[in-house]
Amino acid sequence: MIRVTQDTRLDEASWAALASGRAEPALGLFIDTLMEIRGIGELEGDALSGAALEAETPAELSADALAMAFAAIERGGAPRARPLAYPELAGLPAQLRSAISDAEHRTTWKTIGPGIRRLDLGSRGGFKAEMIRVDAGKSVPWHSHKGRELTLCVHGEYRDGLATYGPGDFSVTDGSVRHQPKAYESGPAYALAVTDAGLRFEGVLGALQKLFGH
Amino acid sequence: MDGKINSKSAGETLGEAERTRFADLLAAIAARQDRPAYSELFAYYAPRVKSYLLRLGADGPLAEEITQDVMVTVWRKAALFDRTQASVSTWIFRIARNRRIDLFRRAKRPELDPEEEMILPSGVPAPDARIEAMEIETRVRTAMDDLPSEQVQLLKLAFYEGLSHSEIAARLDMPLGTVKSRIRLAFAKMKAKLGDE
Repeated sequence: MIRVTQDTRLDEASWAALASGRAEPALGLFIDTLMEIRGIGELEGDALSGAALEAETPAELSADALAMAFAAIERGGAPRARPLAYPELAGLPAQLRSAISDAEHRTTWKTIGPGIRRLDLGSRGGFKAEMIRVDAGKSVPWHSHKGRELTLCVHGEYRDGLATYGPGDFSVTDGSVRHQPKAYESGPAYALAVTDAGLRFEGVLGALQKLFGH
Repeated sequence: MDGKINSKSAGETLGEAERTRFADLLAAIAARQDRPAYSELFAYYAPRVKSYLLRLGADGPLAEEITQDVMVTVWRKAALFDRTQASVSTWIFRIARNRRIDLFRRAKRPELDPEEEMILPSGVPAPDARIEAMEIETRVRTAMDDLPSEQVQLLKLAFYEGLSHSEIAARLDMPLGTVKSRIRLAFAKMKAKLGDE
C-alpha cells in the first residue's frame, strides 16, 4: 500500500500521464478532486491550454447559436439548489459534488453493511467510481475486487491498520491487501474510490506518486 | 463597459487588460445575470470552444452541440469562477475539457441538469497564491510567444489536446523516443521561462 502526503513538482512525463488519465472519466474525477482538495492546481498546464484556446481560429457557429444558448438558459430557469443527501458534503470540490448530485438523481445510497453506505458514481471504460460513507465508529469490511483501488478520503477521518486518513489522503491497494478502514467516533467519513480491472493505473500511479509521494 | 475584444485575430492570446475585462464580464453575469456581458463573452469564446472540439475530432453538429452545453454551463456556473485562481480562458477550457468525455460516450443527455447546485467552493486562496495565479497566466503567454513554434506545438498536443506521447508520435509521424526527448526539452524551456525555482 502506498500512502502519500507530500507535494512535489511534476515533470513532463507525469503531466502527460495525468492528462491521459483525465481522459478516463472516473480517474479524471479522482485526480481533479485530489488536486482541488490539496490546493494544487496544475495551473501551468491549464493556463497553457487557456492561452491555446484564445489562439484558436474561431470556428463558424450557426447564426442562432447565441439565441439558442439564451433559450436553454431560460428553460433551465434560475439555478436551484438541490441539497445533497448528506449536507456535510456541500463543501466538496465542485466536480465531485456534481457527480454525487447526478448519481443521487439516478440512484440512491445503498446500505452494504452495518453503518456503511455506497453510492455508485458510474463506471466507464474499465474504471468504476463510487462514494463510500462510513458512520462514526464503524468499519468497512472492504469489498474485494480484482484490480486495484484508489481510495481518497474526502470528508471526515478514518484509519486502517497502517495509517490515518483525513481529507486529501489517499491509498492505493490491490486485491492482495486487506485493509479495514474504520471511521473515528467524531463523525462519519467519506471516501471516493476508483477501481480498475487490471493494469491500467500504471502511468497515472507513477505520476501521483511523483506529485504526492516519494 | 467599452472596447470589445471580439475582433481579436486568430493566433493571438489575450493581454492582461483583456483578461481582466473578461473576468469582469463573468462577474457581471454572476452578480446580475447580465445578458450583454454574456453575449460578448459568447461571441469571443463560443467559436473558439467549437474549434477546440473540432480539433479533438468532433464533427460539426456535435461540436456545435457541446459548445452550446459548455457556454450554458458558463452562465450557470459563473458564480463559481474565481479570478484569483485562473483566467476566464483557463476556466472555460476546464469546462470544455470536462465535456469532452461526451465525445467518447454519446449517452443521451439532452440538457444540463438545471438542478445542479450552485455553491461557492470552500476555501479562500492565500494572497500570495492569488498573485502567483495571475503571474503564471501572464508568463505562460509570454513563453508561448518566445518558444520555437515546434515546441509550443508539442506542449499544446500534450496539454491542450491531452494526447499521450505515443499518440503524439503517431500524429507527427515521429519516433516515440524523439517525441519524449523533445517534449522534455520544451517543458524544461517552458518552466525556465516561468521562472520556476
